[in-house]
Amino acid sequence: MNEQRRQILQMLAEGKITADEAERLIDALDRELPEPAPGAAPRPKSRPKYLRVVVSSADNFGGDGPGRVNVRVPLQLLRAGVRLASLIPPQALTQVNTELNKSGVPIDLTQLKPQHIEELIEQLDDITVDVDQPDAKVQVFCE
Amino acid sequence: MIPQLVTVRHRRTNGRWLRLYIPVLPVLLVLSPVLLLAMVVGLIACLATRVSPVGALRGTGRLLGALPGTRIEIEQGRMAVLVSVR
Repeated sequence: MNEQRRQILQMLAEGKITADEAERLIDALDRELPEPAPGAAPRPKSRPKYLRVVVSSADNFGGDGPGRVNVRVPLQLLRAGVRLASLIPPQALTQVNTELNKSGVPIDLTQLKPQHIEELIEQLDDITVDVDQPDAKVQVFCE
Repeated sequence: MIPQLVTVRHRRTNGRWLRLYIPVLPVLLVLSPVLLLAMVVGLIACLATRVSPVGALRGTGRLLGALPGTRIEIEQGRMAVLVSVR
């Protein structure tokens, strides 16, 4: 309990303020956003909701001028997609693995569990990818 | 919450914008007979591939529910396509 709250309760106990006034004062205290004390744990940052992909290209494809792609995808959509993908039957996954192997991508999709991908998406929050080239720029980040 | 409004904007090479505002719920109501047929086909496909129909329906619902907030903008010179789901 902080000092201000204690003072309010003390004033209430001494009869200097009514219960209604004390409630209003405590509500007002709660509404304030106190600065975190130095050394105290930092307040948890708000969770990102969207995955953003921004591509800017100065290339003049077909004489049309520079190009720009800006995609914003809710992270919830990725989670929903992962859950839907988990319904793929094992036989189909085996076939996909075979085709991936043939294409030179030796990834075993049967080893990818929904909970693992869920963890992966959770960690996407902290990912920022910046690719800078003289004629193009790619940014992938969460916001 | 399923998407309520899909906005599609297309800027042609002559610089003019074509804007399409698609209210999802009325369109779904109009297309409900087709959707019903699609659901039956989906159910048969689920049974044929031994996928849980309930799980597939739930997954599709989650996917639809997660769509609001999606925004795709592609610009190339004077041409542009913007799709926004709200």
